[in-house]
Amino acid sequence: MRTGVIGLILPPTFSFLEMMWRICPALAMGCTVVALVPPTSPTPLLLAQLAGELGSFPGILNVISGPASLGPILASQPAIQKVAFCGALEEGRVLRRSLAGKCVELGLALGMESLLLLTDTADVDSAVEGVVDAAWSDRGPGGLRLLIQESVWDEFMRRLQERMGRLRSGQGLDGAVDMGTRGAAACDLAQRFVHEAQSQGAQVFQAGDVPPKSPFYPPTLVSNLPPASPCAQAEVPWPVVVASPFRTAKEALAVANGTPRGGSASVWSERLGQALELGYGLQMGTVWINAHNLRDPSVPTGGCKESGCSWHGGPDGLYEYLRPSRTPIQVSCLSKNMNYDTFGLAVPSTLPAGPEIGPSPAPPYGLFVGGRFQAPGARSSRPIQDSSGNLHGYVAEGGAKDIRGAVEAAHQAAPGWAGQSPGARAGLLWALAAALERRKSTLASRLERQGVELKAAEAEVELSARRLRAWGARAQAQGHTLQVSGLRGPVLRLREPLGVLAVVCPDEWPLLAFVSLLAPALACGNTVVMVPSAACPLLALEVCQDMATLFPAGLANVVTGDRDHLTRCLALHQDVQALWYFGSAQ
Amino acid sequence: MSAHNRGTDLDLSWISKIQVNHPAVLRRAEQIQARRTVKKEWQAAWLLKAVTFIDLTTLSGDDTSSNIQRLCYKAKYPIREDLLKALNMHDKGITTAAVCVYPARVCDAVRALKAAGCNIPVASVATGFPAGQTHLKTRLEEIRLAVEDGATEIDVVINRSLVLTGQWEALYDEIRQFRKACGEAHLKTILATGELGSLTNVYKASMIAMMAGSDFIKTSTGKETVNATFPVAIVMLRAIRDFFWKTGNKIGFKPAGGIRSAKDSLAWLSLVKEELGDEWLKPELFRIGASTLLSDIERQIYHHVTGRYAAYHDLPMS
Repeated sequence: MRTGVIGLILPPTFSFLEMMWRICPALAMGCTVVALVPPTSPTPLLLAQLAGELGSFPGILNVISGPASLGPILASQPAIQKVAFCGALEEGRVLRRSLAGKCVELGLALGMESLLLLTDTADVDSAVEGVVDAAWSDRGPGGLRLLIQESVWDEFMRRLQERMGRLRSGQGLDGAVDMGTRGAAACDLAQRFVHEAQSQGAQVFQAGDVPPKSPFYPPTLVSNLPPASPCAQAEVPWPVVVASPFRTAKEALAVANGTPRGGSASVWSERLGQALELGYGLQMGTVWINAHNLRDPSVPTGGCKESGCSWHGGPDGLYEYLRPSRTPIQVSCLSKNMNYDTFGLAVPSTLPAGPEIGPSPAPPYGLFVGGRFQAPGARSSRPIQDSSGNLHGYVAEGGAKDIRGAVEAAHQAAPGWAGQSPGARAGLLWALAAALERRKSTLASRLERQGVELKAAEAEVELSARRLRAWGARAQAQGHTLQVSGLRGPVLRLREPLGVLAVVCPDEWPLLAFVSLLAPALACGNTVVMVPSAACPLLALEVCQDMATLFPAGLANVVTGDRDHLTRCLALHQDVQALWYFGSAQ
Repeated sequence: MSAHNRGTDLDLSWISKIQVNHPAVLRRAEQIQARRTVKKEWQAAWLLKAVTFIDLTTLSGDDTSSNIQRLCYKAKYPIREDLLKALNMHDKGITTAAVCVYPARVCDAVRALKAAGCNIPVASVATGFPAGQTHLKTRLEEIRLAVEDGATEIDVVINRSLVLTGQWEALYDEIRQFRKACGEAHLKTILATGELGSLTNVYKASMIAMMAGSDFIKTSTGKETVNATFPVAIVMLRAIRDFFWKTGNKIGFKPAGGIRSAKDSLAWLSLVKEELGDEWLKPELFRIGASTLLSDIERQIYHHVTGRYAAYHDLPMS
């Protein structure tokens, strides 16, 4: 089912092609578009005029020409159902913050830098052409980082500099031009970057037949930039290319993955095995082999990490503009007095429970981290009450340090788990389902104490086991596809596990929710850090006892404690790849 | 002709690590044709320059002295006089670069050129053109006889079987022998790229030919199924550039076969300009082997001068 009205926000240095990449699928899927474009280029307005002349549907494409500050205002209009933003990182963050709590989807495509990795088994001349395609033709959106193997450094540099000398820059309509201009703003940005790089000790080489007037900036090659310098960390603007050497393939991957940006990259090598290995190892949304910037409308391209999470092209791109037809209408859950700084900072202290009556409770549970129960950092526990107000048990009070430990344990387990075959994953989930069934009576009795009827409790346990099995079966179907498109060569769409997922469970259905959220994450190859239901985490902890024997260490980690505080810790932790939250509006 | 390429000793390490990525080269070839278009008076100027690069060729079984004579006259006056006058280029001595014929017709060609009062060189094909599948002894003898008859440029064909079986030393030796047999004549080595199998082989064969002492490397005989294409040319031009960087010798390039339209010839000129630079755009370092190309260029120039399209019969035949 289509999403309704799409708001599109474009950066000051967008290209026509990028705009069409976003407008066309939206219109094709039946959505209408409101685009905010910077006032310097009239082309989108022309497009909107043409769209308006189509007669029967005058309002499908609307264009507003204005400064970037209108972006959040556009995004907060009540009728907009999805905002597609492409541009700089900071603005994306601001937008995300302003849209929190409203039921507006946000698609981000941030940053425009790409990477070119050249090994010594590559065709160097063709790689030089690849650099030209990537950085200095009008198809590449941003600057380029070059990683070149040391043994071909000199040869490559020489050829690249020679090739740069032949580039011609000028007005786009002159038939013999390689690159145009992106406006004075882009020119200034590039100028500033180059000056900073020079002051930090880099060598700058500029060449090409470029008109000396302002908006044209010559193709620039920056080398010998020390890797720890601030310039090397910042995004490379167009039309600058920053080159750095590497010694081995392993080092190349480490350097390439060592940035927060994860847009697109290309690997150049004539040895198939090496090329594929490097391609798989790069944490980028799109990887090309022996080519750069090959785009085809039927092939999805997108980014990961800080480059945003939206896709365009291919079926994935079209799914961006659709939502499943059974989603309920989402109610905006905006809370009025939201203070980000104080939320979840302090942990409300819990008084010890009244005089203990009834059977003496079990000793307090620890946190389930790294495959075993551990004492919490704060060395305190909180009491859990059952439905009649009596003390049910004590669980640990988790804090920031425990979250950190849990995330680390999850990260350690992540590569091993992701590398497991789908069959092995399915097997583990089924084993857990069997263990749950064995424990049915204990779990049911605990649920009863929480006020659930016996029959319903048993049903809950059974349903949990069934869901585990279902997800185990789903683990087999990976979803990788091989696509043959208009480009030379096949396109491999891999669905990779995200990494570490953090899940904060809702209060209701303590067992079922816990299991239903755990299973999909594990089935797809991620490791989890879970904060179970605050009202009754004991059931989750029972399941942990089984997990301690069945699962590899660190696969699933459970931290109990104050939900708000733990959510804050998880949200602020920068190495958690995704967070699922079920809880209060705040 | 300028000083010959003395060649170098065989150094197989120059070709051992070479890799050529086919799709990337194809992409570059498409780009060249699309990105460098020339119009109006600059186009006319480029076309006249292209005329000076043509090796006017006739290599048919039914060549006799009459059509050779016609060819040689056309080589001396490639564009109609009044068109050249309109462009103010009639006194610049525009002729084609050479005339290319079979060895048996070299005498006729030399005679016809002398009668026309023209001193452009006569190039002869040799060594079992076009297949090269004859004994080495007869191939060398062909070269010597052609040189005796008055050919000052010799276009030899390499032995493709040596390339396909990877016998690089043997290939080097053969071409060295051709070089010696040529003596003072200018040696063009035809690689017959359509039969070499892969772009990597084309690069290797080009390097070996240059190391052995060729003055020019030529893409094809014109008689294969696939003759001069842009991807092959890109690889050969890169080889020429690498040889120049390694030794300082400038070797010439000649595409032949399949170049029929004026637009194509402009694309070829851009390609050489882009990959090698302006110094290679001289008849000493760049030739185009063609026969009908000249008529198409003449028609384009006619159109530029008069604004009308000419029929083939408006312009003198070659």
